[in-house]
Formats: sequence, structure tokens, C-alpha cells
Amino acid sequence: MIQTIKLVYSNPKYFLLASGIFVLMTIGLLILSEYIFLEPYVVAHLPSGSELGFILIVTLSALSALVIPMNIFRIKTLKSSKQKMGGGILGSIIGNAAGVCSCGPIGFAVISTFGSVGATATAFLTNYEIPIRIIAIVILAVTYFTTVKSLKVECNLNS
Amino acid sequence: MNKKGVILGVIVVAIVVGIVASYSSAPSETVNLDMGRTHGTISTAMGSPILGDPSAPITIVEFGDYQCEQCYAWFHNTKPAIVQNYIDTGKVNLVFVDLAFLGRDSPKAAQASYCAEDQGMYWEYHNILYNSQESVDSGWANSERLKAFAFSLDLDMTLFESCLDSEKYSKRVQYNIQQARDNGVKGTPGFFIVGPNEQQKIGGAQPFSVFKTILDSMI
Repeated sequence: MIQTIKLVYSNPKYFLLASGIFVLMTIGLLILSEYIFLEPYVVAHLPSGSELGFILIVTLSALSALVIPMNIFRIKTLKSSKQKMGGGILGSIIGNAAGVCSCGPIGFAVISTFGSVGATATAFLTNYEIPIRIIAIVILAVTYFTTVKSLKVECNLNS
Repeated sequence: MNKKGVILGVIVVAIVVGIVASYSSAPSETVNLDMGRTHGTISTAMGSPILGDPSAPITIVEFGDYQCEQCYAWFHNTKPAIVQNYIDTGKVNLVFVDLAFLGRDSPKAAQASYCAEDQGMYWEYHNILYNSQESVDSGWANSERLKAFAFSLDLDMTLFESCLDSEKYSKRVQYNIQQARDNGVKGTPGFFIVGPNEQQKIGGAQPFSVFKTILDSMI
């Protein structure tokens, strides 16, 4: 497993890509989930009771940053099919959608645009924020292990 | 001439009966609204009663939804320090204006708070709602629960139920939502800190330190 990670991330391009995904996703989700505020001052805030949400955001971002570059490596270097890339993207999208659609500007825009349908959707995403993020993490973890397995097999076959 | 007189008489009687009927069917609750009340660019005439000293030089206008979990977080994590350090000391007062948009029970909960205001218990009812918050539209703020909250505050249930069931304050809540939109509020909680010469907007359940910095700069 460590060898596979070394194989991918020894290339600085993939290391940079992973770092970029992690930083952008973490900061973006922390802003959308109101752990970081940009106005009127830049301030980070972790209210009591929301520690689990914070940990899930960091885990989700870390797994996305790990899985997505590995799948891009697989597709580009080993010319594999793009099908298995779906798990990483799906996990990231599901994880991103959860929680950001609550009382904030995105939820307000969705409800203003789509009315009661939007309200029902945002209520679902808000009420089940934690379970949805956990499902997204499970999807990403499964994708990670299948990608590592697939890289091991494909690299052995190609070498 | 007699025919005309009879028709005129009927019209006069109809008008008098109409006026009497409209007065007698009006709800018996009385509302004392200061229709000219504004804070900065915001018309707070239809908002909550003022929490704190009405003559305080600074007003915090909070736009909120009783089903919003970030509003719940602000109510529990930030508001107590503001009340203790600024509102109880007479430096600041606070007005709550509804931006009830999150779910079908949100407008009803907002209306219920004004039904409680009819009996002088607005802030007590407001606090009960934020202390009882559960998931959006999970039933915690349906009509039965809203009435149960009123019962727990020893409100006159006949008055409260007639107020809530008749949707007496539906237009008041709609007016408040429109105020939020007119002032560019795009989520809850949203705040305007209105000082003697300026007003500052704050979006989201920001920590006490942010409010302290702004309030201290205005005092």
C-alpha cells in the first residue's frame, strides 16, 4: 500500500494536485459550513458540539485528495478505464453537498429558486449531514482500496 | 321619493351593519406596533419587541429562523455573552426579525412568537423555541407543539389558539421576510449592528469576538 502511494506521489505533479485538492476542499467546506468567516474579518470558529462535523470535513478532504490523484495517475499512466474514477468523484460530491445547504447563502438561494422542492432537499441534506458525510467517506475509502489493489495488479502486469 | 328614501335607508343600514360586523369579528387581542420603527435601513416595525434598553445607542438587528441550526448555535454560543456584556449593561439592544424560509413549520413558529407577544411573553416564547429546536420540519414546531409551548408558559390558550389558527400574524412574518430580502440578507442568522452613525452587516453565527470588536468600535 505504501509502495503504491510512493509510486504515485513521487511525481511532484500528483503531490501538488493532492495538496491543492486538500487545501481548496478543506477551506471551501469550512467556509460553507461556517467554521471560517471571511467578513467583516477573517476568523475561524469551532463552536462546541460541532467538533464531529469538523473532523468529518477534514477526513473527507484528505481522502478526496488521496483518491482523486491516484485515479488520474491510473488513467493517464496506465491507460486504464475511466470507470473507477467515478467512486472518488461521487464520494467527493456527496460529501460536499451535505451540510452546505442549510441556513447559509446556498440553502437560501436553493430555496428561493426551487421553492418547496428546494426546501425539502435542503432540509434532507441538513438533517442528515453527518450520516451523508460518513457515507461519502465510506465510498472514498472503498474507492481508495480498490484503486490501490488495481494499481498493484496493473503495475505488475505492465512491468 | 319614498322609494328613493327606502333604498337610501337600506344602504345606510347595510353600511352600519358592515362596520359593526367588521369590528365584532376582529380578534380580541391588541397589538401595539410602532409602524415608524426603523433601525438604519431596516424597518423593524413588524419585528420583535426590543430586548434591552430601547434608548441604547446601538441596536443589533438579528434576522433568524427558528428551525435554523446556525441560529441555534448563535443563540447558545454567542448571544449569552452579548446579553451579559452589552444588553444588560444598557449599551446595546436587540431586535429579532423573522427570515422564516427553511421549512413549512418556520413561518408558523414565527407567527406563534407574535401570538405570545400579544400576552407579553414574546422573549420567553422565543427562548423556548430555540431551546426546543430539533431537525427541520421534524414536527417539533408543528401547531400542536407550538400550542404546547404556549401552555407551558401559562398563556391564555383560548387567545393563543385563536391567534395561531387564524394566522393572524401571517402578513407580519411575510413583511419581515421581505425586509430581509430588501436589505440583502442571504441566510440565517444575519445581523446588522446599527450605531449612531453607521451600520455593519455580519453574516452567519459568528463568534462573540467579532461582535465585541464591532460593538466596541461604535461605543
